[in-house]
Amino acid sequence: MTEDNAVKEVERETGSGTDLWSVIIAPFIWAAHFLVCYVGAAIYCQKLGRDADLGDIRLLVLGATAVALVGIGASTFRLWRVRGRSLTDNDFEYEHDTPEERHRFLSHVALMLCVLSAVAVIYVTIPMLYLSSCR
Amino acid sequence: MRGHMRRGATTIAKVSALLVSAATLAACNTEQSMLHPAGEDAAAVNSLFWAMAIGAAIIWIIVMGTTVYAVLGKKRPKSEKFADRFILLGGVAFPTVTLAALLVFGLALLPDWVRADAPDLRVHVTAEQYWWRIAYEQPDGSMVDTANELFLPQGQTAEFVLNSTDVIHSFWIPTLGGKIDVIPGRTNLWRLKPTEAGVYRGVCAEFCGPSHALMAFPVIVEAQADFDARLAREAAPAAASNDLFLATGCGACHAIRGTEAAGRVGPDLTHFASRRTMAAGTLPISAENLAAWLLDPDHIKPDVRMPGYDSLGQSERDALVSYLLELR
Repeated sequence: MTEDNAVKEVERETGSGTDLWSVIIAPFIWAAHFLVCYVGAAIYCQKLGRDADLGDIRLLVLGATAVALVGIGASTFRLWRVRGRSLTDNDFEYEHDTPEERHRFLSHVALMLCVLSAVAVIYVTIPMLYLSSCR
Repeated sequence: MRGHMRRGATTIAKVSALLVSAATLAACNTEQSMLHPAGEDAAAVNSLFWAMAIGAAIIWIIVMGTTVYAVLGKKRPKSEKFADRFILLGGVAFPTVTLAALLVFGLALLPDWVRADAPDLRVHVTAEQYWWRIAYEQPDGSMVDTANELFLPQGQTAEFVLNSTDVIHSFWIPTLGGKIDVIPGRTNLWRLKPTEAGVYRGVCAEFCGPSHALMAFPVIVEAQADFDARLAREAAPAAASNDLFLATGCGACHAIRGTEAAGRVGPDLTHFASRRTMAAGTLPISAENLAAWLLDPDHIKPDVRMPGYDSLGQSERDALVSYLLELR
């Protein structure tokens, strides 16, 4: 790391505290969304039979998807300020055993998990747009 | 030097052997090939296959080209901004979008049967170790029983009502469409629409026991008029009755309509000799094959339910063979 970069690092907010929720909140939302969609559709189809139209449960899935994406978006927004987004830039260094670099690293991981979770939530939803019945 | 040349010659020989075998493969029998679709679903799957294969080839060439460029190309460093964008676009955005597009492509192929009309023909298929019980539902609701050979009218949607009596099987006619599991205690429905006349091969596609690979059936797709005539012939009673067949107990397991033989354990034999194969797609029908089968079915088809009839004399077995060959 050059002197110049080091100065910029200090100026940037790095996050604080020991709360790991901010790291796992996005995958947690993904898991909750997955369960709501699959368990909801399973119960719906069990009650209404194989030929039932998916109209109502589709609204539930789309609603859950909107809530999940807003939640993941909020988490992303919070992390956005904490560290640079660069994947290759050497402002992303964490080999030093300092609280600041630990936070920087975990924030980077959390940001990546937000992206992954958002993609996963969208993938879980896509089939619902194409299926028309419980069959 | 000479050794080097010999190695070169060996490589050329290997490559040409590979090319020859590839050419042979290209001339493979197409009766069971998904790449030679003869039905609507199979054509859709075929287009998905080629879209994926060509797409995969293009992506592979780009990735390999980039790799070669990275290793052999100019060593001038790019900006960090470029590197970031390259990874985000090529490594994150591109795979995400490509996989989503494939998901949508695949999902769009899912049949939508709820709003589909009633099928033109309904066929009840029961999978058993290791054969197929087949019954055509006629317009008046009566059934025409047969086994191990399927006839379908060209251009008509056939619905299969699938059941199993023992273990999980899978019903698959690769040239006509995808496969579906046949599960004991559950009725699965499956529709296929053959578009090309021809003779194809259906198979069991879920391992079901020692003779799983010997559980096949010819599929004949023909014009509606030919199909109707065929079904009328199938519905007719058998050509002849035979005392020996009844006396030796064959009728306890096999039905021959129009005779006293009414067993439901094994395949219906009413028009046995008109079929293309015996023992569920295992052997062509001939006097030799039938004689060997009666003597020791388990030798031809391991774990088959039918017992051997070596207790009968040669002349009795010959008489049974000639009777079976009369059942056209």
